[in-house]
Amino acid sequence: MGNLIGIWIGAFLTLCVFSFLYRDNPFFRFAESLFAGVSLGYYIGIVAANTFAPNLVRPLVQDFRHNAHLLVPLLLGLNLYTRFIPRIAWLARLSLAVYIAYFVGINMVQKLHGEVVPQVGATLLRPIGGALTPIDNLVLIVGVLAVLVYFYFSAEHRGAVGAISRLGIWYLMLGFGAAFGYTVMGRVSLLIGRMNYLFIDLVRTTAQNL
Amino acid sequence: MGLERLLQIDRRILYLLIALGTLIPILLPIGFPVSTTRPTERFFEKIESLGPDDVVLASFDYGPTTAPENAPMAEAILRHCFTRRIKVVVIALFPLGGVTMAGQELDLIRAEYPALREGEDYAFLGYKDGAQAAMKQMGVDFAAVFPADHAGRPLGELPLMTRVRNYDDIALIVSLSTNVIAEYWVNLVNAQFRTPVAVGATAVSAPKYYAYLDAGQMLGLLGGVKGASEYERLLLDGYPELRPMYRKPGVYNAMKGMDAQTIDHAIIMLFILLGNVAFFQMRRRAGRGGDASGGAART
Repeated sequence: MGNLIGIWIGAFLTLCVFSFLYRDNPFFRFAESLFAGVSLGYYIGIVAANTFAPNLVRPLVQDFRHNAHLLVPLLLGLNLYTRFIPRIAWLARLSLAVYIAYFVGINMVQKLHGEVVPQVGATLLRPIGGALTPIDNLVLIVGVLAVLVYFYFSAEHRGAVGAISRLGIWYLMLGFGAAFGYTVMGRVSLLIGRMNYLFIDLVRTTAQNL
Repeated sequence: MGLERLLQIDRRILYLLIALGTLIPILLPIGFPVSTTRPTERFFEKIESLGPDDVVLASFDYGPTTAPENAPMAEAILRHCFTRRIKVVVIALFPLGGVTMAGQELDLIRAEYPALREGEDYAFLGYKDGAQAAMKQMGVDFAAVFPADHAGRPLGELPLMTRVRNYDDIALIVSLSTNVIAEYWVNLVNAQFRTPVAVGATAVSAPKYYAYLDAGQMLGLLGGVKGASEYERLLLDGYPELRPMYRKPGVYNAMKGMDAQTIDHAIIMLFILLGNVAFFQMRRRAGRGGDASGGAART
């Protein structure tokens, strides 16, 4: 029975969202707000149950002596909330500094080691050659250079620089077109999922429970 | 004048056509043929090369919002692994429903493979916050990130996890992703720990992952429901005994989804063509000093 009620609520909310196709209305806004609120509540619950409890609370409670170092991240996290007390709000910046420094550090290595260097290396190709045709590599190299020239704004895009930059625009447009095609497929997939939910799952679950 | 009316067509007519183009193939499956591409074949071949002594790490980095695309990928890959008796460690790094999706898929697969033993053939470790931090720490010790599995059992009590300490013990990482987490698997884990990574991405994310694929940082890529349908095709060609699972009436899979995709895309392309023909005709007429009235689709 619970399954039946749940699936009918889901169907009602799906139709509330679809009602926006006609025009903005209170049903759509209700569904939109409900989605935002439930998502946030779910996120807080899932982090509390899956991260705070097993990785922080339980180790401190069950074996404080060997896990006392966990007090540092606990205090850094609690310190963030001092921003709501005007007299000591400046303390929150210390926690924020640690947080930002950690992610700058991890991302800098990640971006350089995992993206910049491998991608530059993968672009250093023999001009004649490729998986499908002999000009594959040439097309790739020319495209990368043309797009980089397009994004170089320290020189005016005139003459040779302008011509190369226009070629870069063509490459970008072709790329955006391919990405748009994929995006259409992605959105249609979500519509297929909703249609399957309304016309197959809802009907089957209702029939099973009646 | 007839073609000009296409520029003013009521949008609701297009919505109706797309809705019918989606609904009819769902209710009456057509079975359009599915061709495979090299990124999917490489993904499939990698899992084909693994066996009972290998462990695959499957990361559920998606939620219910992209389940129509990612769930068929997850089902096909899990069926492939368990048919080959490959061990699977399942985690979730996506906060909004990743662990729920992982649990649902495991429940579905468990019903199809009743001989599977949790803790020995597979382990479900649950969700962990802070994707990059968790990934980095798993490179040293899984138990530091997941001290217990999703059911609360300490990792040391799971026979499978006694032989999986870090990425050195993982043959392949599979990320089923809706957002940037798959990038972290590639540019953090593959780059620093050299563990092979294959990604099942939503269609919206897939275009940017081709750069990683071509650079050799990603072993294989499934792009949206098309990629999922290709994997299902390869799976059914290699393992015909799995066909009954994909022929159940009323059960959604990617190959059925591609029927609706094909029709919807045909409708969209038809109207794009007609709209462009009408637009250029009107522009030519306006250039000759003719009737320049035109307009966009009425809302």
